[in-house]
Amino acid sequence: MNKRVLLAALPLAFLIVFSLAPLARLLAEGRGAVSAGLLSDAYLQWRIGWSFLQAALTCLLCLLIGLPIAWSFARFDFFGKPWLWRLLMLPFVMPTLVAAMGVLALFGPQGVFGLNLQDTPVLLLYGNLFFNLPLMIRAVGEGLERLPPSRLLAARTLGASPWRVFWRVEWPALRPWAGSACCLIFLYCFSGFGLALLLGGQRYATVEVEIYQLVAYELNLADAGALALLMLAATGALMLLYAWLERRMAAPMKVERAVAQAPAGWRQRALLLASLALLLVFAGLPLLAVAARALAALGRLDWAVVWQEDTRLALWNTCRFTLAATALATALGILQGVAAKGSLGLRAAAFLPLLVSPVCVAFGLLLLYPALTASLGLLLAAYALLAWPFVARNLTQALESLPVSLPAAARTLGASPWRAFWRVSWPLALPALRRGAAFAAATALGEFAVTLFLSRPEWLTLTTLVYQRLGRPGQENADLAVVLSGVLMMLSLLAFCVIEWPGSRQDRRKPC
Amino acid sequence: MKLIPSTLMLSLSLFAAFAGAAELRVLTHSSFAVSKPLLAEFEKQNGVKLSIVKAGDAGEMVNKLILTRAQPIADVVYGVDNTLIGKAQSAGVLEAAGKEKADPALPGAVSVDYGYVALNIDKAWFAKNKLPLPKTLDDLTRPAYKDLLVVENPATSSPGLAFLLATIQSQGEDKAFAFWGKLRANGVKVAKGWTEAYYTDFSRNGGSRPIVVSYATSPAAEVFYSKEKLNESPTANLLLPGSVFRQVEGAALVKGGKEPELARKFIEFLRSEAVQKDIPTSMWMYPVREGVALDPVYKFAEKPSSHATPDSKRIADKSAQWVGRWTRVVLKSAQ
Repeated sequence: MNKRVLLAALPLAFLIVFSLAPLARLLAEGRGAVSAGLLSDAYLQWRIGWSFLQAALTCLLCLLIGLPIAWSFARFDFFGKPWLWRLLMLPFVMPTLVAAMGVLALFGPQGVFGLNLQDTPVLLLYGNLFFNLPLMIRAVGEGLERLPPSRLLAARTLGASPWRVFWRVEWPALRPWAGSACCLIFLYCFSGFGLALLLGGQRYATVEVEIYQLVAYELNLADAGALALLMLAATGALMLLYAWLERRMAAPMKVERAVAQAPAGWRQRALLLASLALLLVFAGLPLLAVAARALAALGRLDWAVVWQEDTRLALWNTCRFTLAATALATALGILQGVAAKGSLGLRAAAFLPLLVSPVCVAFGLLLLYPALTASLGLLLAAYALLAWPFVARNLTQALESLPVSLPAAARTLGASPWRAFWRVSWPLALPALRRGAAFAAATALGEFAVTLFLSRPEWLTLTTLVYQRLGRPGQENADLAVVLSGVLMMLSLLAFCVIEWPGSRQDRRKPC
Repeated sequence: MKLIPSTLMLSLSLFAAFAGAAELRVLTHSSFAVSKPLLAEFEKQNGVKLSIVKAGDAGEMVNKLILTRAQPIADVVYGVDNTLIGKAQSAGVLEAAGKEKADPALPGAVSVDYGYVALNIDKAWFAKNKLPLPKTLDDLTRPAYKDLLVVENPATSSPGLAFLLATIQSQGEDKAFAFWGKLRANGVKVAKGWTEAYYTDFSRNGGSRPIVVSYATSPAAEVFYSKEKLNESPTANLLLPGSVFRQVEGAALVKGGKEPELARKFIEFLRSEAVQKDIPTSMWMYPVREGVALDPVYKFAEKPSSHATPDSKRIADKSAQWVGRWTRVVLKSAQ
């Protein structure tokens, strides 16, 4: 227990300093009368209801669509799979506005399919799926890969149909992974406001938008604080419930790597094709639309415009900020992830950075540390804060699914607890950690809350440059924004390869 | 928990002490764009290190200034305009930097530049659909112009607020809100901010709306930022009577800020000929300084001859109430 406190001290202090204390400071600033009719306003009730509904719907759809795709990825070997696996992360780093422009190029008023879905909930859900499907596919894929093939084969030998094997053997083992992804997706959809407004129109705005408006424009901190607390309580209760369920569901498994095989028979081929088709429709099309636009735009631009001083500065900053934020998030995530093994409270705490309204945190930081607001350290801390849940969650889950017998055997053979951890548990959890770090890097590259914080011209990053360009009229600005988004995606792809490549190659060479 | 911030603070102040040169902290909105060589020249001449901090949209920036008034985060602020100056003044966060004559002036600050929020149209769309241009604001509420207009939400966007203010100034409060009710019935679309409206709703950029609330200089910017210099702008101003708002942007000292002398010099610098000449094609605003030649591309920007702009005192008193009423009329009744 003491060791756990020691391990968790640093990440928890970080959480308090950069997330909870700012929120508390903002609440203190806004203490006073909350508007009487705040919650009885039908408009606000609709927004709260809609926020929950769209987040829940997105989770459900991600699960339905993500499961077959993840299953195909885990069980079948096919041409280009490692690349698809990495491409899958790209939606995550794309600037929201550019993604929305890509989606509108497909299903907007002048869309290539001649089908205008702008301002409908359908398009909003499509956008949510585009951003969140990768989370589900990767999480479930991870769970499937950890499932010992001997169990599947045993069930098959006993006469179970593939469907029955899935339902009775695979699904129970996948539930914690899928549930964890659902939680993240729910929180993202719940508090992310860029995409909802862009694709759905004002009618489909979320509560977070309301909080943003109250804080940033009306300076009505009393009402904003009340709403933020209400949402925190609601989502916090959900996360706690989930952490409890997850702990009950977590079952240690034998360590055997599943081996993917080429699809055999028409059924398997059809399933693979259908999965890839789903992937193309829900994740691939907007990416392709943006890529096509970027190529067309590149043809229209002079090289001198693309490779100007601003671009070079942005590229350099994006690289070094991502590196720093990922390193920080990974370090904190490892401490937290190891400490949280078997602890309900610490498990739930890993979600905390995503539960607290980002607007409130940004303004709270301003109030709490006015002298630091324009410092780079604070900005990087904010990036790391939003990135570490991935590392921590992945690691805890991987450690918990390890059988106790392995470190126990090492201990019997005379290894110290530290040595047993370092030589046995750690190497086995490493692939999961790598995947978590890849998501952390994606979060840093995508800079979710970037517009909320103070920024300085010398901190120009690719994402800020994209938004700067889209703040002015004219073809050249729009073209450059799309090209820069393309550059951002290439850079991200490179980062994911560096983080994950050696690990997965090792995995394949040595299927135990 | 106090330990970490104080250690950070200490290391920062140590760093500042070693850095030597005085530092001037400039708070601006995110559209601030004075060219780097000019800023470097100012730093050299005054032996100062400029630390420019961008705080989002102008409205957001002023609120951040108000929130941190106990420990100001900047010494001088640029980008406060006539819609926000009253709010900033009554919160007591600004200190006027002396009186300087300029036309237009910004009482409470020193005006630096000005511009017009105006309706823009997509020329190609109107030519293709053979629809005559609307002649009055009321035309926009007629069935012929159904679903053609996109505006920014005045609660989250400066041009959105400016357009609302112009309609109130020209029609009177009650008539203006009746007009907004009719606009809603006629399918006006509301976007969060200018970027969203211009790049996802405006028909020139893939949207469905050929009329957008933008700036009177936007048609010139369209020509300026095109590869093969166009002979004609693809967009044009639609200067309907009572639809144009004049925005005056200025700079002021932040109350409680350090380096007031340098801050004054910075404001002077913003009004120097070199910067004033730079402003029209970097921030797309007109310079307040007389006799500064505009870039030739400005011939594509028709300068409005009249505007409907309430005075800043009235804006400060009423705008929160007006925005609330607008939200009820345009967004809430849509349920």
